[in-house]
Amino acid sequence: MPPVANYTEEQLVSLLKQGSRDAFNYLYVNYSAVLYGIINRVIRDEITAQDVLQEAFVKIWNNVAQYDPVKGRIYTWMMNIARNAAIDKLRSKGEIMKGKIQTGEDVVFNIQNSKGTEQLTDAIGLRDIVGALRPDYYKIVDLAYFKGFTLDEISKTLDVPLGTVKTRMRAAIQQLRQHFSN
Amino acid sequence: MNAQDYIASGLLEAYVLGDLPDADVAEVAKAMVQYPEVAAEVAAIEEALLSLGKAAAIQPPPALQDQIWNAIQQQSATTIVADRAEGIPKVIPFNPQTQVRKFTFAKAAVWAALIASALLNLILWNGKKSAEQSAVAYQQQLDTVREGQRALAIALAKYEHEVTMMANPNMHPVVMKTTQKDHPMVAVIYYNSEGTDAYVSLQRLPAAPSGMQYQLWAIADGKPIDLGVIQNDMVKTQGIEKVNKSVPSGQAFAISLEKEGGSPVPTMDKIFVMGKVSS
Repeated sequence: MPPVANYTEEQLVSLLKQGSRDAFNYLYVNYSAVLYGIINRVIRDEITAQDVLQEAFVKIWNNVAQYDPVKGRIYTWMMNIARNAAIDKLRSKGEIMKGKIQTGEDVVFNIQNSKGTEQLTDAIGLRDIVGALRPDYYKIVDLAYFKGFTLDEISKTLDVPLGTVKTRMRAAIQQLRQHFSN
Repeated sequence: MNAQDYIASGLLEAYVLGDLPDADVAEVAKAMVQYPEVAAEVAAIEEALLSLGKAAAIQPPPALQDQIWNAIQQQSATTIVADRAEGIPKVIPFNPQTQVRKFTFAKAAVWAALIASALLNLILWNGKKSAEQSAVAYQQQLDTVREGQRALAIALAKYEHEVTMMANPNMHPVVMKTTQKDHPMVAVIYYNSEGTDAYVSLQRLPAAPSGMQYQLWAIADGKPIDLGVIQNDMVKTQGIEKVNKSVPSGQAFAISLEKEGGSPVPTMDKIFVMGKVSS
């Protein structure tokens, strides 16, 4: 692979809109692992996860003309595409109920023990973070970010009022920000 | 709602997580423009989620990168065929230097491959002296290597020829720019003002869908003249192909996507690139 240049987000977006292969390589090198991590936590089956990663990149590529930088950074836009692609895949495979029946307790348990051994090894960086947050806060971020639960679904699954979920989500992300700025 | 209300409400976190209905998304987007503090808060939330994502990152298998790129190329081709020509050409600067550089790189790569292949030949020969391989198996390997060498030598000769051709001052390039909005495509036709030969070079045309082929046209006196179809594997390698028909002095050149084998007249809304001859 040829060396990947360093782009500002503005340059990257402009090049992507022109169909540049260098821009694709940059995106892939810098973001594919992050997207794959999220997809794997929604999907869990590695082969399907690879299909979804491909679908996500194709969607990202085909829709980059619609990406509006004023609304947020490109990672957020890509992350939502990838996560939605994963959820759609689960839905189409009829597995959406299996994934979402898990309650908050199970989810934290699964992360801290070995529900997916290769995922746990890769998630060593995650353990620090899990340790740094209040368990009920981490639970909510994990459900929304890594499992694709909507706030509404979290509220129903954890049997917690929607307003409380929103407040906890904010508090959780603030704790995250604290953690990363140290 | 003022800036602080937005920030305290948890709306911004939901926005970044993709959890807001469209109307609310629009409202937050407006607030981001209206209040810099709201935009800053969104940026901080995004940063935190990116960092979290990085901590949970999993490397996909290395082969996926090329596989996904190829899938993207196939996908764009299908999308483009469905589009209609919007008539607004996208300007892509034509840089002859880039062309020559690309060919020089390719040439170097071909030389490197030739040398590696010759080395392999040598290694195999030495292997024969000491190995327990049967003579038949060895001969097959040698034949394969020789065939590879021949193909590489042909490719090398082709590159040499193309670079020489482009350097010829009698060769005039006509850049054909995309006619499909939002789809950058470029092709160049080089025609010799003495009217002897012409070449078409495909910089960036998506792979033709199966059952279809690109066809080259000259436009003279307002009428399209068929200059032949372009082989699909040539589109993939983005190479240069000689135009087999004689090229009249025309006003413009164009490439359209037709069914396999070509068509007597171009399909107007499938014209992908077009360029005028400068007088």
